[in-house]
Amino acid sequence: MGTEVMRAQGPMRSRRTFGRLVRRHWSTAVAYLVVILVCVFVLVPILAGFVTAFKPGPIQIASPPVWLFQPTADNFERVLIAKKGLLNLRNSIIVTVLSISVSLLVGVPAAYSLARLRMKGRQQLLGWIISLRMIPPVVVALPFFVLIDRMKLYDTYVGLSLTYLSFSIPMIIWIMRGYFARTPHLEESAMVDGCSRLQAVVRVLLPVVMPGLAATALLVAMVAWNEYMLALILTGRNTATLPIGAVTYVTRVRVEWGELFAMNLIIAAPVLLLAATLHRHLVRGLTFGMVE
Amino acid sequence: MGSKPELTVAREGQTWRARYQRFAREHAGFLWVAPALFTLLAVIIYPMIYGIYLSFVDMNLGQKEAPFIGLENFSFVLKDDVFLNSISKTLFYVAVSVSLTFVFGLGLALLMQKIRWGRTIFHLILIAPMAIAPPVVGLTWRWIYNPLFGLLNPFLGLFGLPQQAPLGSPDSAMEAVLVVDIWQWTSLVFLILYAGVSTLPREPYEAADLDGAGPWAMFWRITLPLLTPVILVVLVLRTVDAFRTFDLVNVMTAGGPALSTEVMSLYIYRVGFKFFQMGRGAAAGQIMLLGAGVILAVYFRFLYKELD
Repeated sequence: MGTEVMRAQGPMRSRRTFGRLVRRHWSTAVAYLVVILVCVFVLVPILAGFVTAFKPGPIQIASPPVWLFQPTADNFERVLIAKKGLLNLRNSIIVTVLSISVSLLVGVPAAYSLARLRMKGRQQLLGWIISLRMIPPVVVALPFFVLIDRMKLYDTYVGLSLTYLSFSIPMIIWIMRGYFARTPHLEESAMVDGCSRLQAVVRVLLPVVMPGLAATALLVAMVAWNEYMLALILTGRNTATLPIGAVTYVTRVRVEWGELFAMNLIIAAPVLLLAATLHRHLVRGLTFGMVE
Repeated sequence: MGSKPELTVAREGQTWRARYQRFAREHAGFLWVAPALFTLLAVIIYPMIYGIYLSFVDMNLGQKEAPFIGLENFSFVLKDDVFLNSISKTLFYVAVSVSLTFVFGLGLALLMQKIRWGRTIFHLILIAPMAIAPPVVGLTWRWIYNPLFGLLNPFLGLFGLPQQAPLGSPDSAMEAVLVVDIWQWTSLVFLILYAGVSTLPREPYEAADLDGAGPWAMFWRITLPLLTPVILVVLVLRTVDAFRTFDLVNVMTAGGPALSTEVMSLYIYRVGFKFFQMGRGAAAGQIMLLGAGVILAVYFRFLYKELD
């Protein structure tokens, strides 16, 4: 009824709403078109690589590329069994798990403290921890190498994991601090009942923040899993991680494309699945909790 | 009566325990931070100080001795045309990468607001690139760019365009690497800005709509000002990451051809681990760190101005 009256008031008004309607639909159509085109541009390299991992030898280098073929697992078999892929995989898992567990062990209490407990210079400490993110890794890579070499930790799991702490601890502190700050002070009431703070936090608070804790651990694990530069300089034949292994399939003389893409798939698939499941936590993790 | 001595013992035990508990209570904040703090001091601060020491000595990986040589490493590096070249390559890389990923990411974040159907799936696709390890991305694109069996040339052929070997020539290698950088990191800008745009309040837009403001005016007068804090975070992250870039470039071109893609990280890596000149590499590292500090100082000036 009301709109009828409004429309009857004059042709000007109705034309304006009509124009707006057209404009709105037109812009929505353009939005769909652009977003779909960008998605295609994003997907083609990823999918083309994945498909090539399943191509049999001769057609891997056919030009133009062949898209219809009998898929084979030969590349994976060669990479994992005949070559060092399985070792690379094992090394990546060990280094990731080792560095993440140590970081959680020291990082979670620190995050709790920085969210809850009073301390002199807390803000400065938080700022300092975030500023560590700004250091270009190559600057510390050189001293890392000399020191790790001196400590006889070159090409060991401990050596590489130690250097990974430099990014995983700050990440964990910042993200977990946000989760703790958002949780009610449940541990305080347990402390009134006679628990020590440690007992109270472990028994009462940790179960509550567990989903956030798991997401944080997985996010940081993704960064360690993908890390390349430090692994390049600190690992040798025994502890080379997956990214280092992948690069060895590319030499000046020849490139084993099928095997390379099998390696790429092994590296990227788990991380892509994780990113898809954790995408709600990604923003917080990547911005050090600065954007919610 | 007979139980008195026992009580004293118990009380003494309690005082020790009480003392410990009081200490733990009063300094709980520090005690809980301490393990992380000392680990960080050991794994970052100590290496950084050691890096400063390295920059003042003649440390060659082959030799045992590392004599103190003052500022010689710095003067060598600052006179090295290859290093100066790497500075300009880095600045170009940062400028192009940050500005284009930002514009594309912001554009996508705004366009996605118009999309209702299939939002989640589009979102998941658009954020995929940043989850993939940069070496994997770099190697994949090296294959795409390959003039003999990559995807690029058959694609160009569809439109009758001339065949290319983008990574083979000093004139196009940097642009080719930057395309990949933008392919990968637009997703990060998009992810963060999309989260920022999604939390913007509706009221200002409704008010502006009633006043007859067009979408362009709304973007400049409402969206940008409200997003400023998030935008600054994005710009800082992207600048820091573009400034330090190593993985993608090392895997795709290793700095070549003819140093056309040798950014600072690659220069330092090469001096340190190919020429084994740790001292010179460390000196270049100190200069790079200074550069990062200057860039951040400029950003934080803006940030503080914004917060005031």
